[in-house]
Amino acid sequence: MSEQLTLYLHKVSPFSQKIQLALAEANAPYRAYQVNLRNKPEWFTSKLNPVGQVPVLTYGGPNVNPEDPSSLSAKIVESNVILEFLADLYPNSGLLPKDPVLRAKVRFFIDATMKHVEGTYLAFVQGNESFDNVLKAIEFIQELLEEGRNFAVGDHYTIADACISPHLARLKIVTETDIGNFPAGMGYRLGEELEGPRFAKFKKYAQRMLDRPGFQQTHDEEAIIGYFKRRFTNRIQ
Amino acid sequence: MSEQLTLYLHKLSPYSLKIELALIEANAPYKSYQVDFQNKPEWFAGKVNPAGKVPAVTYGGPNVEPDDPSPLSAKIAESNVILEFVADLYPDSGLLPKDLVLRAKVRFFIDATTKHIEGPCYAFFQGKEPYDNILKGIEFIQELLEEGRDFAVGDHYTIADACISPQFEALKIITKTDIGKFPVGMGYKLGEELKGPKFAKFMKYAQRMLDRPSLKQTYDEEFAITFFKTRFTERVQ
Repeated sequence: MSEQLTLYLHKVSPFSQKIQLALAEANAPYRAYQVNLRNKPEWFTSKLNPVGQVPVLTYGGPNVNPEDPSSLSAKIVESNVILEFLADLYPNSGLLPKDPVLRAKVRFFIDATMKHVEGTYLAFVQGNESFDNVLKAIEFIQELLEEGRNFAVGDHYTIADACISPHLARLKIVTETDIGNFPAGMGYRLGEELEGPRFAKFKKYAQRMLDRPGFQQTHDEEAIIGYFKRRFTNRIQ
Repeated sequence: MSEQLTLYLHKLSPYSLKIELALIEANAPYKSYQVDFQNKPEWFAGKVNPAGKVPAVTYGGPNVEPDDPSPLSAKIAESNVILEFVADLYPDSGLLPKDLVLRAKVRFFIDATTKHIEGPCYAFFQGKEPYDNILKGIEFIQELLEEGRDFAVGDHYTIADACISPQFEALKIITKTDIGKFPVGMGYKLGEELKGPKFAKFMKYAQRMLDRPSLKQTYDEEFAITFFKTRFTERVQ
């Protein structure tokens, strides 16, 4: 019998969603537990993650109620560490290719997503920077995408696709709703730029990722929009 | 016959050093080429790493001179991506354990090194921040080290040890010579702090890493000190 897997998550957290996507694509059985981040249960910080963040994965140990985690399970934190763990747990799922060079390409793509996309997107949405760096980041990612291929790397869904997809979804929401702390209209403007021929390859890839059933099942657009509306209330003039 | 591996490096780059350590500990044959950053060869960005940085690796393809890289080799950049690549090439070297949970521990340690040690050390060295975050980072890392164990994770040298060891060399030089852009004397003060009982476990681990033949054979401390002395002459007041 295989070991238990429990994912502590929050439905608006892009880092949690990365893990849900990988699990869905690997057809992996797991329990999901949504943590109330505004009113964190004491057992979450004391038994699972002192830093108090999601996602957290527990692996192994006895089958317990998620609210009563066992000291015998392994606790894994940091979304990219969890992604690699799942790829190890499901070596034939395609989450990581078998070839070392392709594996390196997956990791480089993940590194590029962290370094270029996450920071620039956040800086823009928080009103700290214009969207120029977001566009540069997207160009960098686009360079890595091969023409005619459906996935970030190789011919199969990998943890690279899982890593970037939640950010693609949030970028889309920002361009469609203009919600954010940037000056009014800048979200729409970013959307217009992304419609241009310059970003056609990226747009096609992003749409493919958002169309995947695994994505649709784990994406709660209402909840994310609600969260953005609550969080981004200080527009820069 | 196994594929060629060429490491483009610089002797003063802690990121290059990570890779040298992993290769030496795995007994892996490789060619190395030092990139002269005062006089960067024009072929380097075009043929090896578009970002123009070290470390960068070429793998496979024909056996050519390092200064004449072949388009047929795979090109891999980003130090932590390269560490995983080397671990993939040498699966029985111990660079990554076989056990999945221990592999996750190695990756978490690497993530912690990047976030809590590399960043703060660089910022302090450049005179941008006091050393408080270095001490916090060291406490974080120290919590991960198990009493009585010789390595970061498990019973064998892993890419976690390779990842953090260059920072020990940097800290050693800073605290021994006070060289850096920080205000005069702050390097010595950091050294005093690190001698305290609070950091004993960390310092023991650091010394074990500094004593390893792999580090001694590849790092020229005197050369580094001479170079940094000439380069870091401006100080923050």
